[in-house]
Amino acid sequence: MRAIWFVSQIVLFGLIASQMVSVPDYYPYYVGGLAVMTLYSTAIYIGFDIYEEAEHGVFEYLLSLPVSRRQLALGRSIGGGLRAFIYVGPLMAVSLYVIHAFSPLNFLIAFLSLFLFAFGLSGMSITFAVLIKSSDRFDIFMGVLDALIVRLSTAMYPLAIVTQTNPLYGSLAQFNPVSFGSDLFRWGTGIGSIITFSNPLLPILGIVIFFSLFTFIGIFVYDKHIEGGGWQ
Amino acid sequence: MSAVLSVVEYDFRNFFRYKWWLVGLISMNLADLFIQALIYNNMLSSLVKETIKSYFTFFAPGLTVTGLFASAFMIGREINMERRREVHHYMLSLPMTRLQLAVGRVLSGGLRGMVYMIPLLLTCFAFLGLPNPTQLLLILAVLFLLALGISGLSIAIAVSTSSLEKFITARGAVYYALFFCSSVFYPLSLIQTLGSEGKFPIPLVVLAEINPLTNAADMIRSFLLGTPKFFGGMVLDVVIFSVIFTFIAAFAYIEIITRQV
Repeated sequence: MRAIWFVSQIVLFGLIASQMVSVPDYYPYYVGGLAVMTLYSTAIYIGFDIYEEAEHGVFEYLLSLPVSRRQLALGRSIGGGLRAFIYVGPLMAVSLYVIHAFSPLNFLIAFLSLFLFAFGLSGMSITFAVLIKSSDRFDIFMGVLDALIVRLSTAMYPLAIVTQTNPLYGSLAQFNPVSFGSDLFRWGTGIGSIITFSNPLLPILGIVIFFSLFTFIGIFVYDKHIEGGGWQ
Repeated sequence: MSAVLSVVEYDFRNFFRYKWWLVGLISMNLADLFIQALIYNNMLSSLVKETIKSYFTFFAPGLTVTGLFASAFMIGREINMERRREVHHYMLSLPMTRLQLAVGRVLSGGLRGMVYMIPLLLTCFAFLGLPNPTQLLLILAVLFLLALGISGLSIAIAVSTSSLEKFITARGAVYYALFFCSSVFYPLSLIQTLGSEGKFPIPLVVLAEINPLTNAADMIRSFLLGTPKFFGGMVLDVVIFSVIFTFIAAFAYIEIITRQV
């Protein structure tokens, strides 16, 4: 389903929308953001797995394994991020092909940062899944969060235009991890004209903070909430 | 008639079980309008601005139609689940004819779409202005027919697919083909121009032209914004879509769920 969404966005929406707007190089700009939007929606899926495991009694099995709770939580975050990357990797390759650009050193740095971004997203999803405790509420919460976090980012439009539309939207987009991820991916392609941030260190730093925050909060929350059936 | 109403009541009870999910979906639609559309408003090329003036007002009717589409399509997921869990045996045991059951399912799918769509249509009216009473009746009638057709399309896919994965994949293909090859997000004239310049495949341009989502969204725009110009073909297109898929759905539903008994 996600692959269909991705391809149809590239060959239909992205293609037509790029003719509708006055932003130069909008098509490669949009395709770059699309890869990160897909990474986002894939990485947060780990939270839904936690509910399914709880429902089928797999949670008890995981707790019985000879690993500490922290190791378990960290493993889930990394596993969630890695599998998202495995899934999105081919789609990213398609994006690079469509963008027709590639800067090896930039892309390597961007790629490593996006790994941290995916781990951070998994940690965030696990944190909310364990805190919310109801799969329905989690589903709604993540849906609304998705709507806001993706739309209030630079995944689909440059920061200057977001700020011009509404300064509040611009401020939120500036500190949004999806903006960091999108801009880093575009920076990795090496096309200067489609990058919002002037200094790539800023989004890298933002992603490191996001990863650290949600991985450690995720471990803490997981550790505190799962004993004695506390996740139910 | 009472048998059909019982089926509608059953489906509405299921629909309102997901009320928080619906609230989430509406908030996502509103985020599309109040964030994405407002930002796109500042990005429009001068050429497109001449045609649509404001992306926000252009997109509001499109959003109403996509909301209607998504909610009317939900019935398919439930019917697919019933088929997989063999709940349809229970449905077939109810004291009503197969035709009543099938009509009830298509009708409830359409009505659920209308209920979900109302807040979006009201938002549209709040920002774009009110149509006159005749136009309002025509808008509601066309949207109801569209919802019936979508519900029928969804049911036809649901009963023809044996697993949830196949249903979701088929749904994705239909969703995105109809959404993106329509005038919901961009003016039809832009798609036609791209087609004539060889930048967009002609079969997809034709799909956009006959797409009922295009015609329903453009009809609302023609009444509320004055552009594009209204013509009878917009209504006729939706009527044809609705008639075809309502009949296909009723036929497929009866044929496929009784085949396994």
